[in-house]
Amino acid sequence: MNRRAAIRNMALILGGAIVLPSCLHDDKGKAIVELERLKIDAEQEKLVNSLTQTILPKTDTPGAAELGINLFVFKMMDDCASKEQQADFITGLKTFADEAKNQMNKAFADGTDQERTAFVQSVEKQSTDKNFKDDGKLMAFYQMVKGQTIFGYTTSKFFMTKQVVYELVPGRYNAMYPASKATA
Amino acid sequence: MSNNTYDAIVIGSGISGGWAAKELTEKGLKTIMLERGKNIEHIKDYVNANKAPWEFEHRGGRTQKMIEDYPVLKRDYPLNETNLDYWTNEKESPYVEIKRFDWFRGYHVGGRSLMWGRQSYRWHDTDFEANAKDGIGTDWPIRYKDLHDWYGYAERFAGISGNKDGVPILPDGDFMPPMEMNVIEKDVQKRFKDFYKDARHFIIGRTANITVPHNNRTNCQYRNKCWLGCPFGAYFSTQSATLPAAMATGNLTVRPWSIVTKILYDKDTKKAKGVEILDAETNKTYQYFAKIVFVNASALNSAWVLMNSATDVWEGGLGSSSGQLGHNLMDHHLGVGAGGRIEGFEDKYYFGRRANGIYIPRYRNLNGEKRDYIRGFGYQGGGSRQNWSRDIAELNIGGAFKDALSEPGSWNFGMGGFGETLPYHENRVFLDKEKKDKWGLPVLAIDAECKDNERKMRIDMMNDAKEMLENAGVKDVQTYTTEPVLGRGIHEMGTARMGRDPKSSVLNEWNQVWDAKNVFVTDGAAMASAACQNPSLTYMALTARAANHAVEELKKGNI
Repeated sequence: MNRRAAIRNMALILGGAIVLPSCLHDDKGKAIVELERLKIDAEQEKLVNSLTQTILPKTDTPGAAELGINLFVFKMMDDCASKEQQADFITGLKTFADEAKNQMNKAFADGTDQERTAFVQSVEKQSTDKNFKDDGKLMAFYQMVKGQTIFGYTTSKFFMTKQVVYELVPGRYNAMYPASKATA
Repeated sequence: MSNNTYDAIVIGSGISGGWAAKELTEKGLKTIMLERGKNIEHIKDYVNANKAPWEFEHRGGRTQKMIEDYPVLKRDYPLNETNLDYWTNEKESPYVEIKRFDWFRGYHVGGRSLMWGRQSYRWHDTDFEANAKDGIGTDWPIRYKDLHDWYGYAERFAGISGNKDGVPILPDGDFMPPMEMNVIEKDVQKRFKDFYKDARHFIIGRTANITVPHNNRTNCQYRNKCWLGCPFGAYFSTQSATLPAAMATGNLTVRPWSIVTKILYDKDTKKAKGVEILDAETNKTYQYFAKIVFVNASALNSAWVLMNSATDVWEGGLGSSSGQLGHNLMDHHLGVGAGGRIEGFEDKYYFGRRANGIYIPRYRNLNGEKRDYIRGFGYQGGGSRQNWSRDIAELNIGGAFKDALSEPGSWNFGMGGFGETLPYHENRVFLDKEKKDKWGLPVLAIDAECKDNERKMRIDMMNDAKEMLENAGVKDVQTYTTEPVLGRGIHEMGTARMGRDPKSSVLNEWNQVWDAKNVFVTDGAAMASAACQNPSLTYMALTARAANHAVEELKKGNI
């Protein structure tokens, strides 16, 4: 495993924030995150990072990026997605970038919270439109990112220890537990 | 040669092999247990058992690499990153599918006792009499009374938690206190009882998870991580239960990496004198000698061992004189059921992850009922509260959405059927003539399928599930069914069946090979029919009974 991947995995294991200094970017637009099977450039990486943060933004609790969920999304797409899914991911990512640019007049990642949210909401709306044809794989891409973002978040250390009740060794079964908090 | 001589040899270390080793050693026999795969040491080698969910790189998922490496395992839930090491390397140990057969194997000390589902149910005379009544296969040479005491013996040692429900078709056992149903399961149970009275039953699962401390094992901690290996020894496995008991006698030797290639048959005495093994690490051949041999390699591999033995006397191998060796392969067919939503109980939840569910015992084709198929099925299921998910457009992304993810979602209830598969002579395994495994040994070809009786049964399995759930107050009930595939139940049975006649069965009423009375087969291979209950408890009882008989016969000088 290479060094960057090791950093990434450590972040996942610790469930904590990961901040990579911007100097790691090189001039050729190469992505920071090193992937084995999925090929993306720095712009695309920024978009996905930004999209995960739009889906789960920082509030009084950490957002997707602070929790390294964006890296989890890349990890899952790189290791677990099939070739077909990866192809759709790339195609849809391009479509997403183009459409965002059309609507926002700037790159998705450069948008304000409101602009990005408005665009993603428009994508969400399309997902409920029965006549929508996903020729550009926009929806396939979006659903993969969203699905993995939620999966990564709800299985993160932060979520499982701070947001819901989780004990590695419950030691008991309480069949009448009050529902003030979800358990996992 | 003296170093290689024992009183007894046990081939295989899974549920039945572990029991054979325990019983034989406790009765004073110097025993060697031969396991084809690696050793897995209790607790120490359960490397993932104490990891939190977020410590798994892919959170328990499957990578493309795993999917490529495990073309069979990937077909169902077992392929995952949390206990991958417990599943057989398919590239090293291939097999041939004449028809699709999902063979999920565990080649290591403990075998599938480490990953099993732990549901433990007794059989009833209805099950033992079924073949004779229907004129199908061969009659079981035993009845419930023959196993009754051995069931109790097995339950008391293994530690089966359950409720004495008094269901006629599903005899009560010597149980530890039952696990508790959650709030909606209790609700469904009440409505179910109001509707069906005593015609059908809805009970807590009977599981080999101990609910009180037992034999230096800690009671279940409600982690629901059983199949990673339990650091508390809270579920029955070879490692947690039978192996420590056998080791405590001082009479057991365990030899991992020992692929038994044949049983050594002596034409003059008409008995086995030992076994030959291939050391899986060194490829060297060794022989071990003993007065009795227990074959517990799992149903298909036990047949494989027999097929490779005494071929100079019988071309088809030891036990093939009946024409039944390798035939009558059975499993339970599943992948059909229903589920729905439960209204209310928003203020209720549960704490702890109960590695058990509810059970609906068989009710079809009993008390004179005649469907358009024979035999029956049971259901396993459970109620649970899902993660939050609501279809509100404005709440699909963003901070409020993020917060909502930690709120409990709706209550759901689901269940799936386990159906009996009939013993069809043509459903069989045999040695493939071409393909070899990593060690140059011939591999099995499997040719088996579900037929008309199973397919008709599945229609009931689906429709009954919906009807019962609706009658019990479950809303929005959705059914599901799949193409029935054998192997998926991971309950392979029947390939060296017991019977009353050497002309139509491989084993007699004491699990002895008719053609070599000091060879006992007490795993799933011995089963003459499948019933619809999970079979492992019956293997335990059969094994303890056969071991007792073996030692008695040995003392009498009969074997």
